[in-house]
Amino acid sequence: MARDIKFYGKKRGDRRTGSRQMGRAGMGLFFGTFLLIGLGSLLLILFTLSIPEWRANHGYVETQCLVLDSRIAEQKSDDGLTYRPEFKLEYTAGGAAITKWRPSEVTGAYSSNRGRSERILGQFPVGQKYPCWYDPRDPNMVVLERGYSWFAWLMLILPAAFLTIGGGGLLLSVLRWGKSTERISAMSQQSTTRDLFQPPVAAGPKFPNVPDAADLTNSAGTTLAYRLPSASARWGLLAILLFCLFWNGIVSVFVTLAVRGHLRGEADWFLTLFMIPFILVGIGAVGFLVRQVLIEAGVGSTIVEIEAHPLAPGGEYDVFFSQAGRLTITSLSVLLVCEETATYRQGTNTRTAHRRVSEEQIFLREGFDIQQGMPFETRLRIKIPLRAMHSFTSDHNKVEWKLVVKGAVARWPDFERGFPIVIRPESAASEAA
Amino acid sequence: MTAPVLNLQLHEGRKSYQAGETLSGEYRVASCDLGDLRAIEISVLWYTEGKGDEDLAVHYFERLSLDDSQVLDLERPRRFSTVLPNSPLSYEGVIVKICWCVRARLFLARGREVVEERLFQLGDVPAARAVLP
Repeated sequence: MARDIKFYGKKRGDRRTGSRQMGRAGMGLFFGTFLLIGLGSLLLILFTLSIPEWRANHGYVETQCLVLDSRIAEQKSDDGLTYRPEFKLEYTAGGAAITKWRPSEVTGAYSSNRGRSERILGQFPVGQKYPCWYDPRDPNMVVLERGYSWFAWLMLILPAAFLTIGGGGLLLSVLRWGKSTERISAMSQQSTTRDLFQPPVAAGPKFPNVPDAADLTNSAGTTLAYRLPSASARWGLLAILLFCLFWNGIVSVFVTLAVRGHLRGEADWFLTLFMIPFILVGIGAVGFLVRQVLIEAGVGSTIVEIEAHPLAPGGEYDVFFSQAGRLTITSLSVLLVCEETATYRQGTNTRTAHRRVSEEQIFLREGFDIQQGMPFETRLRIKIPLRAMHSFTSDHNKVEWKLVVKGAVARWPDFERGFPIVIRPESAASEAA
Repeated sequence: MTAPVLNLQLHEGRKSYQAGETLSGEYRVASCDLGDLRAIEISVLWYTEGKGDEDLAVHYFERLSLDDSQVLDLERPRRFSTVLPNSPLSYEGVIVKICWCVRARLFLARGREVVEERLFQLGDVPAARAVLP
């Protein structure tokens, strides 16, 4: 069935994909708007600030100006009153005598700093003659000061950013226009798979979209071949710490304002009540941080080693497991887990969902003590299900396997530590062959 | 004016393959005015479905544009063939699904397209079920 431009595409899974053409047109419009804003602001800054300043330094003709009068001009802006120094100058340009009120420099920019304007007025007392420069194209343009102001050039960064994003995005939209999703994907893969357009042979990695196991095998074990790295809780801790600092830092400003109001006897009850949920979130975050720190610091190191890696469906493997610390264990278990991870956009947010789809307990021991300096150690045997899904990773979707150590400790928060493993889509029998 | 028909078939009507096997098939265009045709694309690809944003990768891709003289004989079935990769295998997960398909796309004048798709299974991974907490 022939398709014209549609506003909605077909529904896939939990999402509606939307119309490809409309999507690309929308993106083109979005980036085109960015480009236009960038171009407009670039021209505005160039013609009102940068070029006049450059011309004043290179193209203006020197003469002598008599300062007849001076004043501070005021202008109302969103930030309140802004100021600039102005001088009534008498000078000769091209044989003609001219008298004009002019700002001291070519941009004529206003500033909220009145003191700066007063200082400049003081540099050019009334009744004195000073070197000045006029524009030969327009002798009414005259300046007492030359040089370069930082903002006339630094402000170019703003349109440059708009031009880069808008231009780049628009170029990408144009390059993709009229091309199918498959063709775009093939083109992007072409750089890494040069034979893609030479059918029927498709070259590429031996196991596309299976994560590289190199990161998991670069640490040798002491008992078995490889020591598995832990899915680091330290990054999680750092993230919670940063959140606590950021959140409570902002909240503390408003709390300070509210407390000062109360101390002065001018209580702002709306602000006080409004801040309560924010304070509770901050306290909760600190509590969670403390709990995680206790787990990391109080529970000793967990070591998991494995005899081979990557693993294969149907394969059986020896695992060495060690738990250090000084702990009264209620229960300690090791699980073989498979988890799906999906990342998706919801409005302007990016969210990640996890779903555990396989969980097999391979070790459990209850009610025992671990002494300081005498870690609990045991050897286990795991069997990967024969028709297990292999490890998979793409930009927004993952299937991950890991060994999970779960512990319940008396008078201490429960802990859980994950040790990722990679399962390749080849049977243990073919791997052995 | 009759709409062009794109006929796409996998050899022997197969719907299931193993990694490393050769997938082959043919496609044919019927009821299409040659002046309307711009290009034909045939691709073997996988895409994801589920909760996450869609990922897609093309394993085999062939494009025939109007300039290719071979396209002129529209009624003649055109064959394609590719050795399937080791991964990713088809997967019916809970929030992640991986679907393989052969997709033929006919580009016509005025931006119109005709798309035909044949889904197939790569490997024999059973469907997953969520583990209850």
